[in-house]
Amino acid sequence: MKFRHLLAAVLAAFSFAAVAQQPVKIGMSMPQTGPLGGGGKAALLALNMWVEDVNAKGGLLGRKVQFIAYDDQTNPGVVPGIYSKLLDIDKVDLLIAPYGTNVTAPIMPMVKQRDLLLMGNFSFDANAQIKHDKWFNNAPWGAGALAWGGTFLQAGRALGGKSIAIMAADAEFAQNLCSGGRVIAKAMGLQTVYDQNYPPNSVDFSSIIRAVRAAKPDIVFICSYPAESAAIVRAVAELGVGPTVKIIGGGMVGLQFAPIMEALGPLLNGFVNYNSYVPEKTMDNPAVREFLKRYEVRAKQEKVDPLGFYLPPFNYAIGQMLEQAVGATKSLDHKVLADYIRKNEMKTMVGNIRYDTVGEWAKPNLVMAQFRGIKGKDLDQFRQQGKQVIIGPAAMKTGEIIPFDKARN
Amino acid sequence: MKRFSIGALAVLALAASMPLIFHNEYFFFAAYVVLQFVVLATAWNILGGYAGYVNFGSGAFFAVGAYTAVALYKAFALPLGLQILAGAAASGLLGFGVGMLTLRLRGIFFSIATIAVAIILETVVVNWSYVGGAKGLPIMRPTETPFFANHTVWLFFVMTLIAVVAVGAARFVETSWIGRGLRAIRDNEVAAECSGVPTLKLKLAAATLSGALMGAAGAPYAQYLSFVEPTSTFSLNYAINALAMPIIGGMGHWIGPLIGALLLGSVQQIVTVTISSEINVLVVGVMLVVFVVAAPEGILGLFRKFFPRRKS
Repeated sequence: MKFRHLLAAVLAAFSFAAVAQQPVKIGMSMPQTGPLGGGGKAALLALNMWVEDVNAKGGLLGRKVQFIAYDDQTNPGVVPGIYSKLLDIDKVDLLIAPYGTNVTAPIMPMVKQRDLLLMGNFSFDANAQIKHDKWFNNAPWGAGALAWGGTFLQAGRALGGKSIAIMAADAEFAQNLCSGGRVIAKAMGLQTVYDQNYPPNSVDFSSIIRAVRAAKPDIVFICSYPAESAAIVRAVAELGVGPTVKIIGGGMVGLQFAPIMEALGPLLNGFVNYNSYVPEKTMDNPAVREFLKRYEVRAKQEKVDPLGFYLPPFNYAIGQMLEQAVGATKSLDHKVLADYIRKNEMKTMVGNIRYDTVGEWAKPNLVMAQFRGIKGKDLDQFRQQGKQVIIGPAAMKTGEIIPFDKARN
Repeated sequence: MKRFSIGALAVLALAASMPLIFHNEYFFFAAYVVLQFVVLATAWNILGGYAGYVNFGSGAFFAVGAYTAVALYKAFALPLGLQILAGAAASGLLGFGVGMLTLRLRGIFFSIATIAVAIILETVVVNWSYVGGAKGLPIMRPTETPFFANHTVWLFFVMTLIAVVAVGAARFVETSWIGRGLRAIRDNEVAAECSGVPTLKLKLAAATLSGALMGAAGAPYAQYLSFVEPTSTFSLNYAINALAMPIIGGMGHWIGPLIGALLLGSVQQIVTVTISSEINVLVVGVMLVVFVVAAPEGILGLFRKFFPRRKS
């Protein structure tokens, strides 16, 4: 009998040791090619840096962290298959959502039905319809479009704007954002003189810009994806958007990515666009500064976005949140972790975050910044203060908005 | 016919018993895709292989099936079986309509017309907010599926059933007078017409059947993904795969698309699991080039070359 007990104890010890040896697997799909590929690669580097850092500290629950990421090609159709594989073949313990709304939306029903914790990654209102209680999106804009479009439209109003033109890509994120913009514009009493969608991945905007110019709006609210954003900026530079326009931009994804900023250079002057981080004094944060120093070295080696302002700090912060939750609860149980994240303040390098009932930042911190004084195509200038002046919200402001045509000269 | 029916029943029985052998849900997730391509390739081959009319708009027929099912599910919460029938009917009608408009065109002109149809329909869906428009629409699967372990297994069985029906229909077409007429059209349409073959009627029948089967394959798509959005539903990958699989398997016989879809579909899924999800499109391209150059009659052609039938 004693021998049997001893044998059981030895076996139990061995199996415990075996579990302890197994890594904690964290899985995700990430756009590494396709329209969001540029941002996705930079975000992936930040997550890899977090994995290296946490493993250097001993991992999670004394186990090394293994990070599994597949390229979803920015194609929503392949994402459910990837997450099914992550869960059923790779047997991951924790999930992170891909960067972007379009590629996150397809997995929301799956995670709700399997009742899984999902850390969101810069998606916008992806949980609005599903209302999953284990969804926590790390994005500074919060729920709904009010915090987003509001700052931009108020700035337009401050310049005396009375009419608005809206142009949006026919895609999940852009449509969500512009729907919110329309609501705010109506509430503010702005007259809509142009409101059109265009097919995603359009490259020629000359006819649209001509139509906008003919409508003579004061405010031009644009909701676009990277390649389209670059094409719109070029079309505005070539054709002009008309003397009535006081403010243009708002929701242009891509104008935060270093390769696009470098390629467009002075053509960006005057555009007002949302951002998650710009090197202005009100956003100065030693932890982010320190991270970006390390990131820049790695980004150069791995040939990804050399600035890394937009996504990398927030992706690193997703890792920090998982680290805090797992460390505090000593658990990988999704319900336990979700309860913890819901009830506690998450301490990350992008700030201390509390989540609201739909899993978005309770206190959004999205800034609208105006490109100013960009000369040539030197990327280093974007690291200086004053090149992306924060014009709202009030608490983060580093300057007043300048009308578009004045900022161009 | 008897042998085929027994084979079909055996395949269905095997599909029903799969959950006893495989317990990993991803197996069924991947197998569903392979079976979906069996249907698409078989459907494509009815018009493309037998009649020689190359359809580049397979994605449109597939998507019409998917969106018809989504619209009816949203409006009336129709069960999956009725969604599939409705999807097949809608895509069959589309096939008939497109056939009426374009089957008087030959060669490359017909192919271009099918691409145009796909683009037009995608634009319509992008602007149709009821089914999600460009934003897409999340679909919550039923939480309980009677007789099956989960909804993925159920969808796998349903797709097996559609695949069996598609292969059966293709075999019927091939071995009947319709198939002989379509082959005559492929070889020389003018000569076929002069010989009394009702060319337009046969082509319309083939386009309708081909479209209906593609629509049936698309109908469960939204439930499979739990989401539907136009870019991936109208993806050109469906057209490429639907065309590549019969070419690789062999276009002259109903078993050719089946072999091509099972081979190419399985290789794509294995590559996705073992190497990466983005390599699988490359696999299609490489295999297509290799087969077009080295074995233009596909695997069936190779088989016939190395194992010729003895003349009695």
